[in-house]
Amino acid sequence: MADGVDPVDSMLDLMRRLPPTNVEENVNALIQICPDYADDLLGSVDQPLKVRTDRATGRDYLACDYNRDSDSYRSPWSNEYDPPLEDGTVPTPKLRTLEIAANEAFDAYRELYYEGGVSSVYLWDLEDGGFAGVVLLKKVMTPTTPDEPSGSWDSIHVFETAERGRQAHYKLTSTVMLELVTKQNNKAEETFVVGEPEKKSSQQGWKSSGEVTLSGSMTRQIEQDWPVHEPTSHIMNTGKMVEEMEIKMRNLLQEVYFGKTRDIVYDLRSMDDLEKARRQKELQKELVGFIKR
Amino acid sequence: MSSKDRIQVATSFILQSPPGEINDVLNDVRVIVDDDERLEEGVLPALREYNLAQFTTVDVPGEHHQTIVSEFARVPGSDEERYLDPRSKTSFIFNHLTLEATDPQSEEPSEAESQRAALESAALSYLSSHYHDGVATIFAMSTTQFVVQIVSNKYNPSNYWAGRWRSQYEIDFESRSIQGKVLVNVHYYEQGNVQLNTSHDLSISIPAAVSSVPHTSAASKIFALIEAEESRCQTSLNDSYHEMGEKTFKGLRRALPLTRQKIDWDKTMGYKLGAELIASNRAFGAHPR
Repeated sequence: MADGVDPVDSMLDLMRRLPPTNVEENVNALIQICPDYADDLLGSVDQPLKVRTDRATGRDYLACDYNRDSDSYRSPWSNEYDPPLEDGTVPTPKLRTLEIAANEAFDAYRELYYEGGVSSVYLWDLEDGGFAGVVLLKKVMTPTTPDEPSGSWDSIHVFETAERGRQAHYKLTSTVMLELVTKQNNKAEETFVVGEPEKKSSQQGWKSSGEVTLSGSMTRQIEQDWPVHEPTSHIMNTGKMVEEMEIKMRNLLQEVYFGKTRDIVYDLRSMDDLEKARRQKELQKELVGFIKR
Repeated sequence: MSSKDRIQVATSFILQSPPGEINDVLNDVRVIVDDDERLEEGVLPALREYNLAQFTTVDVPGEHHQTIVSEFARVPGSDEERYLDPRSKTSFIFNHLTLEATDPQSEEPSEAESQRAALESAALSYLSSHYHDGVATIFAMSTTQFVVQIVSNKYNPSNYWAGRWRSQYEIDFESRSIQGKVLVNVHYYEQGNVQLNTSHDLSISIPAAVSSVPHTSAASKIFALIEAEESRCQTSLNDSYHEMGEKTFKGLRRALPLTRQKIDWDKTMGYKLGAELIASNRAFGAHPR
């Protein structure tokens, strides 16, 4: 390989740069080039969650790499694979019991915070005796008219836990993917030619249309210890951690999406007249100099 | 996958590069494709397409200003990548890989030079009023048709962000119209990958009075129209931010549940789950210690 760089590192770096709106196409293109790294890529690049319907219960669930076995996905509600798989991987009966309870708990969490959307929790045993899981939440807002904004939120919380006596150590990695789209269509309004208000009628031909897309993902990690009294303690503990994390990440997303990116646009082009500001500053300097004299 | 297909994928990656990150993308693509020889000649058309589409700027040899390497700047009738800087009336060969201009030659000004120069000086004064690091180039397409391109880049890799503003106006004094587009791209990538992409198409009609006045005053009136339009674009982007923040963002996920309190997992969930999970707890048997 060129320069001895691990191709997976280059692929992940590339995915951190290319537009988040194209993540699925780009991951597929990378897999076509390097089929040997398909598992590494699918396991490390978060992609928008797919909503599927459980054939047995009629309930919606979320599909991602964690409930995939070959080309089938397991539903958390019926524990069945779709398309059916005879020897599809399922959790041990003990872990499945916890998984059922976790799905109920996070479904309640989803209703309280998302007031809609879909949630799914998948658990799996780890080789060293602990277990791991993923909590998925997704909500999509579809516009009813073309001018209304649309958006989607996808949360992926992956955790690992190892029990140490009456304590358990948790490592949580959370990714939130957020996409917001607004379309604008403007026709001539109360507009006039700058400096020539009498030329109002000449502006009738004015029109503009535009589209604004804010999309992306942010990832954060946290490790914590919590007491474990009974198996269901794991649900309370991961519940608290996921809730804290989502509150933090929602604030962070708000800051980056609506604060940072907007500030950068103003760094590119200023609404205020910079030349005027410069002249004012000069004038002020002169005045200060004058007063000092 | 054939090497031709691999180059095609590499091309699509290059064309998606965020502002100021083309070299990072190229480095990644080099490792992934792992075929330097084919890549080098294969991606040259992609780099060319990227440079032209992104209003890439270059220092004009022997001058103290930059010009935009544009499709409109192509010097016709030659196989080489020769582009014109209308401001200094110099043409140069542009290397799409190294982004360097070489072999400067002076070119004859066009018939429309006085009108073009008037637009250029109005453009430069507009730039200094509203852009921190802007470059503008004005091309004369005929005696009545002109193209204005404006680009402003800010790259701040140490703080993980970059941005690019591009605008283009096709001015036609005969049909008295301006067709414009404004494109803004922002990339914020500290522990994540967040991108803002906006596109704005617009058309403005030029008042009859403007086309009949002397060149310098017509030019400053044209840029007054452009200034008003770009400010309106920015205001409308602000409105979109407000709408997305107030409606979409809040509608997707609440800051807190309706109760305005965080979930009491130990109590609320615990009781509910406790009732439902007595049976399942038994199924767990002895708790591992």
